[in-house]
Amino acid sequence: MNNRILLVARRDFLQLVRTRAFKLTLLIVPALLAISVGATSFLRPPATVAYVMADEGGGFAPVIERRLELDYQRQLLRDLSAYAARWNAAPPGDGWADDAGVEAFVHDGGVDAALRRMKLPAGTPAFKRAPRTYLRVPAPQGVPTQAGAAAFGRAITPLLAGDIETPQGKRALSAAVYIPARGAPRIWTNGRANGANLIEVIQEERSHLARVAALAANGLDPATAARIDTLRAPLAVTAPPANGGRAQMQIRSAVPLALVYLLLMAALITGGMMLQGVIEERSNRLLEAVLACVEPRELMLGKLLGLGAVGLTIIAAWVGCALLAAFTIDGVAADYLRPSLAALNQPWMILAMVFYFFTGYLILAMAYLAIGSLSDSMQDAQAYLMPVTMGMLLPVMLMVMSSLQNPGGWLPQVMSWIPLYTPFAMLARLGMGVSLSEVLGTGVLLVGFVTLELVVLGRVFRASLLSTGQPPKLGTFLKLMLRAD
Amino acid sequence: MAALVFDQLVKRFGDFTAVDGLSFTVPEGGVFGFLGGNGAGKTTSVRMMLDIIRPDAGRIEILGRSPSRANAPKIGFLPEERGLYRLMTVEDTVIYFGRLKGLSAADAAGRTAVLLERLGLAQWAKTTLDKLSKGMSQKVQLATALVNRPSLLILDEPFSGLDPVNQGVLEEIVLEMAKGGATVIFSTHVMQHAERLSDRLLLLARGRKVFEGTQAQARALLPGRLLLTARHDPSALPGVASATASGPPQEGWQQWNITLLPGQDAGGLLQHCTANGFALRGFDLHKPSLHDVFLHLVGGPLTGDKP
Repeated sequence: MNNRILLVARRDFLQLVRTRAFKLTLLIVPALLAISVGATSFLRPPATVAYVMADEGGGFAPVIERRLELDYQRQLLRDLSAYAARWNAAPPGDGWADDAGVEAFVHDGGVDAALRRMKLPAGTPAFKRAPRTYLRVPAPQGVPTQAGAAAFGRAITPLLAGDIETPQGKRALSAAVYIPARGAPRIWTNGRANGANLIEVIQEERSHLARVAALAANGLDPATAARIDTLRAPLAVTAPPANGGRAQMQIRSAVPLALVYLLLMAALITGGMMLQGVIEERSNRLLEAVLACVEPRELMLGKLLGLGAVGLTIIAAWVGCALLAAFTIDGVAADYLRPSLAALNQPWMILAMVFYFFTGYLILAMAYLAIGSLSDSMQDAQAYLMPVTMGMLLPVMLMVMSSLQNPGGWLPQVMSWIPLYTPFAMLARLGMGVSLSEVLGTGVLLVGFVTLELVVLGRVFRASLLSTGQPPKLGTFLKLMLRAD
Repeated sequence: MAALVFDQLVKRFGDFTAVDGLSFTVPEGGVFGFLGGNGAGKTTSVRMMLDIIRPDAGRIEILGRSPSRANAPKIGFLPEERGLYRLMTVEDTVIYFGRLKGLSAADAAGRTAVLLERLGLAQWAKTTLDKLSKGMSQKVQLATALVNRPSLLILDEPFSGLDPVNQGVLEEIVLEMAKGGATVIFSTHVMQHAERLSDRLLLLARGRKVFEGTQAQARALLPGRLLLTARHDPSALPGVASATASGPPQEGWQQWNITLLPGQDAGGLLQHCTANGFALRGFDLHKPSLHDVFLHLVGGPLTGDKP
């Protein structure tokens, strides 16, 4: 490659990476990741909370505890089924099993025995048990458990604001339940969302008892009434195989869709930097000295190359952070990254991804470069920037949303054949599978479009570099595009 | 070989003709003044020499070749409108231009160090340009023009914006370059600079050549003026176009303002007076300035609109 192009590219690259804006840009993704992880863990209710239950009659508390235990074991069974599917092992049982099925699972040794039966190959990541949601703790000292709901409530309410000692260490005291010998149970919670499930369980079990009593009052044998009320209709659930189904299709699109976002963000950010650079060169009147040594075409290509390198550096840093986070945060790599990369199983798909990425970058970068060459200030540039940015951003965002809602929808398919949007649409669709002929067809169209853009916007760039005064009107702009060199 | 040839150059910007059939030749070596008021076509001509813009008609030959970036290693250029990358250091800026002109990294760095020393900028080598004064920035820009040791130095209005001390430094450099065998072309609308520096001149007005030649040839275009102190009326002397008495006579001697006929040599008049016993007490020759020549040729002051 021409040495002068490389010199211009190197200068632009070095100048930009030394700016504060570049350093801040590099930090955006790590900062967003940190904020989102931090916010999630801060805002998410604690995984395990404690509750206190006072049962005057002593008959209802064991019912609640049994229900919570069965729900927990059912959750483990369901998680274990997903784990088995992910690692191609035989399923341990029906994740939608009724109480009897769950009791059989527990009776057969629960999770540990099921894992042994799976005979997973060495090196398979260990199954991680979800923690129990509710831990029952005895009523703290000074809280009366047999003196009525009012006295219990008065004593327990202040304690709901803090933590309480449990066998697993200190946990938030999430709820307190008082079950009188007669009348309705009373529940006090600390207002956090994970109290709601406990309330539902209590309500459901009380309703069950009420329904059984009502059936018995109507002459039904209580044992039969209880059996009828706990009936669960059998279900045969057919889930899509691993790497199939709509959810999996969306997971497979994670990397290509992330690339669409990265491409857009990197192109818009570095495009903005490029714009400022060209405007600085024009307003500082330094272009004439540069143009005495460098052809306008070389200057343009050098800038595209330099800014491309800046964009790639940003993307490499972001992708690096994202990968680090993906492999650090439990399950992200296994749940999203691997299935997504597995979708790109053909070498030509990787090549296509790189091709679309670079052409998409070039389309936007070239537009920004031409705008910069027409503007004496950022204020001038705004007049051109708004339609260009909106014209790119809105359809692409719409297309990405459409892809997530309906991976095979018509919008991404149509946009694949509009060269301006081809890189974005094809990138978004790559994970869901596109044919080689479609890649080749859109690729040829895209190469033609990018070449045309380089020629016509290159003319605008060259013709406008040393001009001064008001930016050209639309008619002049079109004339510049069409004028032969 | 001529350093620069313009042959019937025409450049139009829309309806405005910036350069109109311009032809001239700059010989190799020496200092060539490119004179004209604002809007005369100087900057347009300079940009065409450097292939920054292309003419609509005519032919240019620079250092024996057509204008192109291939000539950049032999050319130094200081544009009229000056600016540099604000966030680059002085040293990096000069090296960058050296490299753009084909120098190796080592040569560019070595020559930069020497130049910065010569221009008194060595201590600012690592400073970014946004921290320098305007005058110092202009010296850096001059360094970018000189870093490749050009055989042709093109300076477009080089003195504008420079204080008298730095104007002196620049004049020294121009003369030093010429002495070293380089050709220096500089455009200016300040005639005093041209008088001090240039061996040959080109006078432009509204994109057209009005004069090309040496300073002596330019001055010869104007009738000579003399202040004579004589006992008798000199009107009848050969070569005298007019003679006007100035002030009252003193002890029989009268001062006369003499205008010679065009092309008439003042030396010839003095010789005639001496040979024919025409008594003289004073003979002061007033050489016309380039400014006078310009006014005479263009018929107006050095003003106009830029293209």
